[in-house]
Amino acid sequence: MGKTIVIHGRAIYGGHAEGEALVSEMPLMGWGNVKPNEGCTVERNHPLYKVCFKDKILVFPYMRGSGGFVIYADSKKFGMNPAAMLVTESISVIVTMAMRLKQPVLTDFDIDPMTVIETGDYVEVNGDEGCVIVHKKSDGEEKE
Amino acid sequence: MKLTDEEKRILDGEQGYLASKCMKFLVAYGEAADAECLVDIDGTVDLHGSRNPYWTDDFRITDDEIFEAARRGEKFKVPTFANKPTPGFIVDGYEHCCTWPDHDPDYHKKRMDYMKPLIQMGMVPTLSCNYYLTSTYWPTAGTHCSWGESSAIPWCNANLGARTNFDGGFQMAYLGKVPCYDLHLDEKRKATVLCTYVGEKPLATDMDYDLFGWAAGEKLGNKVPAFLNIGKPTLSQFVKMNSSLNTGGQVRMYHVPGVTPEAATLEDAFHGEKPQEEIEITREDLEKTYHMLNYATDKHIDMVFLGCPHYNIVEIQKAARLLEGRRCMAELWVMTSPGVYDMAVKMGLRDTIEQTGAKLMSGTCMDELRGQLPPYTVFAMDASKQNYYSTGHLYPRKTQCWYGTMEDCIDAALTGYWHGEWR
Repeated sequence: MGKTIVIHGRAIYGGHAEGEALVSEMPLMGWGNVKPNEGCTVERNHPLYKVCFKDKILVFPYMRGSGGFVIYADSKKFGMNPAAMLVTESISVIVTMAMRLKQPVLTDFDIDPMTVIETGDYVEVNGDEGCVIVHKKSDGEEKE
Repeated sequence: MKLTDEEKRILDGEQGYLASKCMKFLVAYGEAADAECLVDIDGTVDLHGSRNPYWTDDFRITDDEIFEAARRGEKFKVPTFANKPTPGFIVDGYEHCCTWPDHDPDYHKKRMDYMKPLIQMGMVPTLSCNYYLTSTYWPTAGTHCSWGESSAIPWCNANLGARTNFDGGFQMAYLGKVPCYDLHLDEKRKATVLCTYVGEKPLATDMDYDLFGWAAGEKLGNKVPAFLNIGKPTLSQFVKMNSSLNTGGQVRMYHVPGVTPEAATLEDAFHGEKPQEEIEITREDLEKTYHMLNYATDKHIDMVFLGCPHYNIVEIQKAARLLEGRRCMAELWVMTSPGVYDMAVKMGLRDTIEQTGAKLMSGTCMDELRGQLPPYTVFAMDASKQNYYSTGHLYPRKTQCWYGTMEDCIDAALTGYWHGEWR
């Protein structure tokens, strides 16, 4: 285990969760391009195409596209949901998605999670305190 | 979140159970969104004209609650328009669609009946992603709205200068209130990015604007840009660009100095401040997007889908002229709103289109119908949005999509073969 980084944000939906980070460099898109029963994006050209987000701390810069982004929350009905989401920039549809997902969803960070979290890091999310503890998987250089 | 005395009384049940339930949702949503207060809607609301009046399970207004409210004679507080029903069904032209269950008259009746209580409460059954083109009732500049269709959000914010987040729903229509944050606030509406088109060839065709919207959206994400050097887009071109801006990205508000109402000048767009960022969109960016959308390999076309966003009457006229007197070799669906469909019938355009073997339909789209399509795999479309979602909606079917102009697509329908190319 490498070093530990603490960042602070605002909870759209509170609660506690922890797990391995899955970082999406590309924004995420819903509607037909998310498969809630398989717990993955099926957006063609997406680096995370068919990569399962079940139980992960899903980190992404922003959403794009249809209001069907709320279908991300439907993954919970299939037990395929992420444990938490950390999103750099939020808009209204992220809020309604979070209210439907009922798992911690945080935004408005002091340090952009996209710059410090890498896939495979172990992340503790305390939504009630707005606090995210990142245990780096290695002591390597921080992300550029 | 700060509530007025009246809002507190609604929350406490003074106006009944349903008003209290709607207010509970607005408070929870407003607090989650970090809104300071609610604002009275003096513009309009849109909602999906069907199930799921709101998407959040804890606060869902049930079918029975809507039915009872309609029976009591309750009305929406503000003018309310219907987006496409979801899940999709074909409103007009379903009889010959050859897909299940949409071709079934009983299914059609069931879906239409389902909307009746909402219509009784005041929802205008525009049933379209561009309900704003047939509703003839636009919110005026500066008014507060609650719209919920991604491709329509910039029409409200940028083209009309009214104010909306991406959140239209039953609760907002019922109470005439919405959390006041983000694009309801002056500060959030100013441009921060100067986005200039620098291609040697000016933007001219509808496809150019569709591609520009995608390429710009991809670079802008959520940011508010001022667009420079994009010429004078037609209505069809603005509608296409708004759609692709909200597929390749999430540009809910923009300025075109001298064209859109909140910015007579470039200085207005930035509220007198300096751009935080300057980006350029090149002809190569458009070409790259074109090739990303044109990933198909099989040039034998099974099906052509036109009408994303729903074709307006001028686009239908154009399609009818290209088709007149010819015979389609591939399946062709031309999709529009129910309002424009009626006009096309009156003008004889439906007959012109359908005599070729093509189908004119209204109220949905290929993607909203999800898997309820003929079992085809090779498609052609003139909309980046429909193209980019189709592989997901039809997953795991191995879909191939060609992308081009309306002319390319109609040629493909008439010949059964894709001849389109980048030019």
